[in-house]
Amino acid sequence: MPQPILTIKKLTKIYGNNVIFRDIDLTVAEGDTIVIIGPSGTGKSTLLRCINLLTHPDGGEIWLDADEITAKGANEDLVRQHIGMVFQNFLLFNHLTALDNVKLGLTKVKHMNDKAAEAKAFEELKRVGLSDRAHHYPGQLSGGQQQRVAIARALAMDPRIMLFDEPTSALDPELIGEVLEVMRDLSKSGMTMLVVTHEMGFAREVADRIVFMEKGNIVEEGSPDDLFYRPKFERTREFLWKITELYGKKENADGPSAAEDTESNQPAAEENA
Amino acid sequence: MDVANFIKYILQGTVYTLGVTAVALPSGLILGTLFALLAVYGGKTLKQVMSLYSTVMRGIPPIVLLLILYFVMSGEINLSPFWAGSISLGIISSAYQMEIVRGAILSVSAGQMMAARAIGLTRMQAIINIILPQTLRNAIAPWSNEAAIIIKDSSLVYALGVPEILRRAQLIGASSGSYLPAYLTAALIYFALVFASGRLLGLLEKKLEIPANP
Amino acid sequence: MKKGLILLVLVILITGSLLGCQPEAPLEQTSNPPSSPSKLDSINTAGKIMVGTSADYPPYESVDESGKYIGFDIELMAAIAEGMGVKLEWVDMPFDSLIAAVQENKIDLSISCFNYSEERDQQVDFSEAYYTSKDAFLVAKGFSGTIAKPEDVVTLKVGVQSGTVQDDWLTSNLIDTGLLKEENLSRYERVDQAALDLQAGRVDVLMLDEVPAKNLVSQYEGFNIVLSAELSTGPLNIVLPDGDVALKAEIDKQIKALQDSGKIEELAQKYFSE
Ligand SMILES: Nc1ncnc2c1ncn2[C@@H]1O[C@H](COP(=O)(O)OP(=O)(O)O)[C@@H](O)[C@H]1O
Ligand SMILES: [Mg+2]
Repeated sequence: MPQPILTIKKLTKIYGNNVIFRDIDLTVAEGDTIVIIGPSGTGKSTLLRCINLLTHPDGGEIWLDADEITAKGANEDLVRQHIGMVFQNFLLFNHLTALDNVKLGLTKVKHMNDKAAEAKAFEELKRVGLSDRAHHYPGQLSGGQQQRVAIARALAMDPRIMLFDEPTSALDPELIGEVLEVMRDLSKSGMTMLVVTHEMGFAREVADRIVFMEKGNIVEEGSPDDLFYRPKFERTREFLWKITELYGKKENADGPSAAEDTESNQPAAEENA
Repeated sequence: MDVANFIKYILQGTVYTLGVTAVALPSGLILGTLFALLAVYGGKTLKQVMSLYSTVMRGIPPIVLLLILYFVMSGEINLSPFWAGSISLGIISSAYQMEIVRGAILSVSAGQMMAARAIGLTRMQAIINIILPQTLRNAIAPWSNEAAIIIKDSSLVYALGVPEILRRAQLIGASSGSYLPAYLTAALIYFALVFASGRLLGLLEKKLEIPANP
Repeated sequence: MKKGLILLVLVILITGSLLGCQPEAPLEQTSNPPSSPSKLDSINTAGKIMVGTSADYPPYESVDESGKYIGFDIELMAAIAEGMGVKLEWVDMPFDSLIAAVQENKIDLSISCFNYSEERDQQVDFSEAYYTSKDAFLVAKGFSGTIAKPEDVVTLKVGVQSGTVQDDWLTSNLIDTGLLKEENLSRYERVDQAALDLQAGRVDVLMLDEVPAKNLVSQYEGFNIVLSAELSTGPLNIVLPDGDVALKAEIDKQIKALQDSGKIEELAQKYFSE
């Protein structure tokens, strides 16, 4: 078996007296798209923030390829370059145009010359379908467009893995589709992705594995079919049921295929009961 | 007494008013920005030191610091009245400007820092490229206030004998017995300076405004 | 981390230099013994004398609109400088700052209608008197009371310029003795504010030096001096650095010469006759 891109061993995170999660294990193989689902407050965002060292774990190890990034003396800024992150609320740099948002990391972190950086930034914007918005400021873009710029910004750094933290949950329903489409294409192009989302249509179509987290534990993980049709735990089925109810309607706006997915979920869950 | 000469005499004080402001406002800005960054991103001790600095400096009446710097500390440093005045106002202003910039930094969401770090920028790079450009824009409006305060507080250097607007109004008022016209002239000049500085900063704010859809 | 440390040191230095050194300064000043070289030497070496005055007190000291200093004290000092054979440089300062400025060597000496007071004598020295003036009680149009003796003002609202000898006199003779209520005494930073309040009726009577009082009478219609007396006001003296015997001797010598030559009398005629 080839070396996984990301290996998480016995990861523990504690805020004060509050154990967010303890002894979590997770591996992500090259080219895989892993979807993490779970109730809010479970520690999904915290897990992603630990992975690119925006917050520091209190125990355990994280390996990126053959390097332990949680080791003492690891160059964190270098680590973050190799891990792209997309946030729920986009977090574009408000005072910079779309192009400059994407370009900044290239000039400041990768030390590319201005011309090369600009060309690459433009390419990345084209890849998310926004070349015509290059000179717009975040305040002049829709939420969907902003999130696509944020994806382009992360992609520009040529990361080994992309982390997405509920990338569509702050979007109006009619804007979700364009972002999911970009992510779908990205996944198909072979990018390794770890995605926290409750868009079940997307998860079923794209995920190699779905991980169900609850109260800081990984309850269950497996292929979409396993989780949807043959969940090992009652809790998993209940959560999937709830989430399809909740998000299904939103996803209908996403097109017939997504709608189909949601519909097919429910009988499946019932079937299993 | 010749009215033109009367006004001209008071107007000549504007040089000192503007001079003091030109030293105090920018030096207060540079120190204040530095201190604000320390107060927000510094360690626990640094935060406490900065908060103490802010509390102490904002608690001292400018005139007291000015007199300390000019008279009491004359053994250590021999400052001219102009510099003693400009420096004390700059120091006190740095505390106020620190609060302005600190507020502006906090109003730039913490997410901006996180997003900057996420693409691999160092903290320093994030501060310089992401936090400060947004912060300083947000700070322009409260600065009109600070500029107005310094322009008016600059009159305090009269206590050291700098012939600025207020002192000249006093002197010409005393010699002519026309106090009211003298002080009115001074008030008018101060008003004009404050008004102009407010307009200039307003223009700057407009020019640097980040475009957005309504 | 390292940067933070450097900045911390910087901050401590700044605050430290502001707060920490403060107690040292007065020590250094008082330990300045009389044996230190006289100002007179540095004045002669520089060929000029720096004299402080608060030029807002005509006819003693004021400026015309070209910024030229004029007045009784001004011309007197010019004559003294001429006698010493040095150039004269004026430094204008608010009255309250002058003593500190002499103490801290910001100026060589100060002439600004100063009266001798024991309290000030602790901090600075005084020349021999160059002129003697009186206190005046000044009222505005429509004043209906009578002020036959100074104590008659205790039933009135009294105004005075703060920090003056008149202020001292009122405080120690009427306030501290309980004759005049504290709230009935208004202290003004400047004479002009006091005059405006007298005119507006916010105070009934002003106590001030007779010469500027006469000046106000000519400026404000209806102002009237109801009583003149030599109370607080003793003779006028020049303020000199503490313990500088040589400088005091030189200034006293010059004053004596000007009295003998009749120059001072001539100046008094020029500035004080109505
Ligand atoms: N910076 C923090 N300090 C303290 N507690 C935190 C912090 N961030 C998150 N938490 C807590 O950690 C728990 C998990 O949060 P989060 O990772 O955001 O969950 P999820 O993304 O699954 O909704 C929550 O109880 C939250 O209150
Ligand atoms: Mg979350």
